[in-house]
Amino acid sequence: MRHAGRLTSRFIRRFWRGLREWCGDAAYETYLRSKGTQSSPCHKLTPAEFYVEQLNRRYSKPNRCC
Amino acid sequence: MKRLFVIVAWIIVALLGAGAFAKIAFDRGEPLNATWFVVAAVCCYLVAYRLYSAFIAAKVLALDDARATPSERHDDGRDFVPTNKWVLFGHHFAAIAGPGPLVGPTLAAQFGYLPGTLWLIAGAVFAGCVQDFVILFCSIRRDGKSIGQMAREEVSERGGFIAQLAVLAIMTILLAVIGLVVVNALKSSPWATFTLAMTIPIALLLGLYLRFVRPGRVLEASVMGVALVLFVVVAGQWVADSPSWASVFTLSGVALAFAIIAYGFAASALPVWLLLAPRDYLSAFIKAGAIFSLAAGILIVRPQVLMPPLTRFIDGTGPVFAGKIFPFCFITIACGAISGFHSLISSGTTPKMILRESHARFIGYGAMLLESFVGVMAMVAACAMPPGVYFAINSPPSIVGSTSDAAAATISGWGFPLQAQTMTDLAHKVGEITLWNRAGGAPSLAVGMAQIFSSTIGGERLLSIWYHFAIMFEALFILTVLDAGTRVGRFMVQDLGGRFWKPFGRTRWMPGVLLSSAIIVGLWGYFLYQGVVDPLGGINSLWPLFGISNQLLAAVALVVATTILMKMGRLRWIWVTLLPMAWLVIITMTASYQKIFDANPRIGFLSYARVLAAQIAAGKIPAAKIAETQRLIFNQRLDAAVTGVLAAMILVLIVEALVHWYSILNRRIEPVLHESPYVATRWAADYSGAAHGDD
Repeated sequence: MRHAGRLTSRFIRRFWRGLREWCGDAAYETYLRSKGTQSSPCHKLTPAEFYVEQLNRRYSKPNRCC
Repeated sequence: MKRLFVIVAWIIVALLGAGAFAKIAFDRGEPLNATWFVVAAVCCYLVAYRLYSAFIAAKVLALDDARATPSERHDDGRDFVPTNKWVLFGHHFAAIAGPGPLVGPTLAAQFGYLPGTLWLIAGAVFAGCVQDFVILFCSIRRDGKSIGQMAREEVSERGGFIAQLAVLAIMTILLAVIGLVVVNALKSSPWATFTLAMTIPIALLLGLYLRFVRPGRVLEASVMGVALVLFVVVAGQWVADSPSWASVFTLSGVALAFAIIAYGFAASALPVWLLLAPRDYLSAFIKAGAIFSLAAGILIVRPQVLMPPLTRFIDGTGPVFAGKIFPFCFITIACGAISGFHSLISSGTTPKMILRESHARFIGYGAMLLESFVGVMAMVAACAMPPGVYFAINSPPSIVGSTSDAAAATISGWGFPLQAQTMTDLAHKVGEITLWNRAGGAPSLAVGMAQIFSSTIGGERLLSIWYHFAIMFEALFILTVLDAGTRVGRFMVQDLGGRFWKPFGRTRWMPGVLLSSAIIVGLWGYFLYQGVVDPLGGINSLWPLFGISNQLLAAVALVVATTILMKMGRLRWIWVTLLPMAWLVIITMTASYQKIFDANPRIGFLSYARVLAAQIAAGKIPAAKIAETQRLIFNQRLDAAVTGVLAAMILVLIVEALVHWYSILNRRIEPVLHESPYVATRWAADYSGAAHGDD
């Protein structure tokens, strides 16, 4: 029973993490963790700056199909 | 022993699929249960994924997990982000799944359920999935380069230019045709128009929240947005019931076309965070929910498919669109079987986020299989309603007659019994003024979906809510494609214009932004307006044009893929991309020829123009309608010219590619691959993105 509970909670945690990544909720955390950001001496973007920059980049090339 | 068990299990799956296919293809008795479609499709996909995609991965592409992918080498947390394969599958599927696999099969249902279903499954397995998978692989090996860049480097400069032109052509025609689908779905429907109109202030509200209150908190904003959207679906009924408010939201086709054009301009010119992105978030959640609900609904309700396997309209006299089963079935169903547009996604964001080369099989091939399944479900939903009702909704008045009694008599005369009262009752049940002549596929699909949903939850009492939920779902994500496409089109126009006048190319220079937005909106807006005023319903001309341009881009992608395989020395397996490419060239060239030159004025643009000109010359057109008829003649000639240019581009590309291949095979030129240099991965063999929180 305890094992089943552990499996369920692990599944829910993974699902939640996957959902946040899929919809872009976790994009800023991923940016902060990325190798490029950590090794770069440049100024790190704030959440608001990152959000706008990311949207401008995403919607400047085909990202939705017919 | 375990191996034997696995082999036996796969043999059972294959036999089950073959049996279900045989039932679909040869059963001519009682109406067929939709479960057969689901079993046939799923078994076929499983076998194709297990065997054919594995063969392509191992023998044709030789995927190498020891090789570092672009996301590992360039990990910057922005473009290049190592992503768990399930998450990336969701991203990729959300990007490739648009309205095409819903609308195309619904329109092609006029031939009966059989041709469209076979093409959806076989086309996806042997062409669509292969294209997506191979292009994704090629882009991974080239640091995520786009299909245009790969065409330029691997085939020729002209190949790259044709790819760019094809993308712009597709954008223009696609945006016009999907705009027309929305117009026909909202025409004379205050409930649906109100619901969709309200999604704009909701999106603006979310945009402000995500920008200033909680930057980037997409999940919580989307939950609020979806709740508000569901509320306005219900509130639409109150608006429709109020005479004063209903009149405000009851719009003609032309008024709706101008409203959509104005919306497209605003979405292109306004900051992306304000309107476009929040609407996309709303659409993504509602799309995922509606598609899974439809699949569950079909499995629970298991509706009877009432449409015959083949109708009399395979001879080309169909009321929804004119043209014989070959080539028009394969042009009408583009997305769902093979879509050139997917090559833009497979060579866009996805290759920059993939963790390992082997994931390309699951994401490239697998996501397209799922899209094909969406197409099969749309086919089931369209064919589950009585055929008479299907034709009443999708036929223009110029074909069936302008009064309900005349239309019912015409449709009954085709062998699909229908009473005018049936349509009146159905319109009343779904909360519409009328369902006659609502060509475009969206209203008939919404009726089919609503009947499936209401059989699961709520019964007939909730039919009108489900219908308007389905219309809102279709229109919402069509508009998402429309606004995102307009913005991308704007960037293309600015890029093109910037070559002649530098300031025009600056994406933050407001006069350039406004002018380029006006140009791209003007281009697709013209075709949209033309479709709205076309007495044949618009879909008859525009949807085949869209199919031709989309398949043209698929041909470009497969030419690139074939060239790369040849350069990789995989001549033995070159048929994997060469055969679908040849098939696409045959169908697009045949369809283009027929659309331009066919003597039947419902098919051939030029013959229709000639008929109209002869009517003017014979004095059959009243003086007040002469200007309008002359505009129609011009439009037909314009459509013929556009089709001719698209066909000419295919020919140029094919000749160019053949010359290139001949030179490679005769060793006149050295086959140079433009792959990024090999770098061994530093990730452990079982790495799945643990460092990025998705262990």
